[in-house]
Amino acid sequence: MKYLLFIIVATFSIQLSAQQKQFSKDDNGKFIYYKVVDSQRVSKDTLLQRAKAFVNVAYKKSMVEESVTDSSVLAKGTIVIDKTILVAGHPSGEVSYNFVFEARNGKYRFWLTDMLFIPYQRDRYGNFVPTTKIGVPLERTPGKLNAGAWKDILNSTYLKVEKFGDDFKKYLATSRVEKAKKKVETISTKQW
Amino acid sequence: MKKLLTAIFAMASTTCALAQETTTSPLEISGSVDTYFKYDFAKNPLNAKTSFVTDHNSVSLGMIDIALKKKTGKASFVGELSFGPRGQSQSIPDAAAGGSSFNIQNLYVNYEFTNEFSMTAGYMGTFIGYEVISPVGNFNYSTSYLFTNGPFQNAGIKATYKFSDKVSLMAGLFNDWNVYSASRGVSAIGGQLMVAPVEGWTAYINALLGAGFGGYGTIVDLTTAYQITEKFKLGLNAANYDIKDSAVPGSYAGAALYPQYAVLDAVTLGLRGEYFKFKAAGAVPATAFTAVTLTANIKSGGLTFIPEVRLDHNSDKPFFKEGGAAAPNGGQFSLAAVYAF
Repeated sequence: MKYLLFIIVATFSIQLSAQQKQFSKDDNGKFIYYKVVDSQRVSKDTLLQRAKAFVNVAYKKSMVEESVTDSSVLAKGTIVIDKTILVAGHPSGEVSYNFVFEARNGKYRFWLTDMLFIPYQRDRYGNFVPTTKIGVPLERTPGKLNAGAWKDILNSTYLKVEKFGDDFKKYLATSRVEKAKKKVETISTKQW
Repeated sequence: MKKLLTAIFAMASTTCALAQETTTSPLEISGSVDTYFKYDFAKNPLNAKTSFVTDHNSVSLGMIDIALKKKTGKASFVGELSFGPRGQSQSIPDAAAGGSSFNIQNLYVNYEFTNEFSMTAGYMGTFIGYEVISPVGNFNYSTSYLFTNGPFQNAGIKATYKFSDKVSLMAGLFNDWNVYSASRGVSAIGGQLMVAPVEGWTAYINALLGAGFGGYGTIVDLTTAYQITEKFKLGLNAANYDIKDSAVPGSYAGAALYPQYAVLDAVTLGLRGEYFKFKAAGAVPATAFTAVTLTANIKSGGLTFIPEVRLDHNSDKPFFKEGGAAAPNGGQFSLAAVYAF
């Protein structure tokens, strides 16, 4: 009974949390995930190097660098959206986006916009693959028949983009050199 | 109840822990359920000359299909089983005699040696043709003559090399069509060239030589689809099958065109126009079918309603009128509901 109560409370908490989070819109009426980050300890050049490494190394499977200047990085990328049932699920589609990073001394900003959804469908071999190459803008208001499914897609996309943003901020705050030097702790059982 | 919940939590914790420690992807679970009503205009179920949607004036079952997939590092597997008429007695082969068992849709393992090169072994949906057994993979609910008379599945081992996103090549060794274990040994070779000349257009040129329906034969197949605009998609399937022994019936040739247009976000209309010909074999003369199928897909979340009208013609009169007399035309209306999860 305690477990049941816990599940109900947890489920409602997750649902409320998911409902509260949604994309803002930019000047053109497009969804945007926009962050300005204070970064006094890291120089502008280092931030730029780390942003390039994030695109070309950490997220190289899902991002492609478009252009780089002395203070910005532009890239395109995709995020796979999952349909989850408890602990198991399957990909339900992907969202492509444009990524912009700009650095100044002491701070940087980044945003994701131009988000297009491409649904997945299971192919003859049981793999989930895109049904089309032409994406649907996430801002589009669906008909009544698909309103619920679209809301799930928006929620799932927001959570994935938010995680992407957290990963990016952590990556830019971390020195790769220091991380590489950090060795795995060795435990000796010879003496105790 | 407590035990069940404890087990669920334990399973969830284990999966999360594993996910943190390895590159294992979560277990994917997916599938579908479908059911249909069909009304034959001549009230004769024998007028259905292609696979599935066989019953007349009946709310009938398609199948429940359940697929599992998991990837660990470079290795993955897919296991997919179906239960119900579409996945049992109407699919080939039935896993046990009598039409009361199940059908294996896919059961294979795959290993990606590199990003470009992978090998797959097991029992797989066929690489030949446009349509598949699962209603989720088709736009029309009824099936084409090309689908019905071609292979449904192939057991074998195949290697795929991806030259780029626009070109890939597959080659493999296979058993005869639609069998879990070979009756004539590993006796067929097959290949597939995939080209994607422009964004949204993909074409597959397929060939399968060796043991198949009616003995040994060669099937050559072109399957292609082009998403021309956001709303308009055009598909084409053309195939030719020649049985080595020309006295054995079953050789065929045909083509089907699949234009589809999205009239609303949730509603797409599609037409299937098909010409299909059984070739003459010994004393058996050639005979040709033409069929036109008008289908709508109305989607609401995971559910798709598929109303469909189908008209078939063959001047050799293989169809039946209401009284049982031979007729050159057959027609049917069906309404299917397919839920994919």
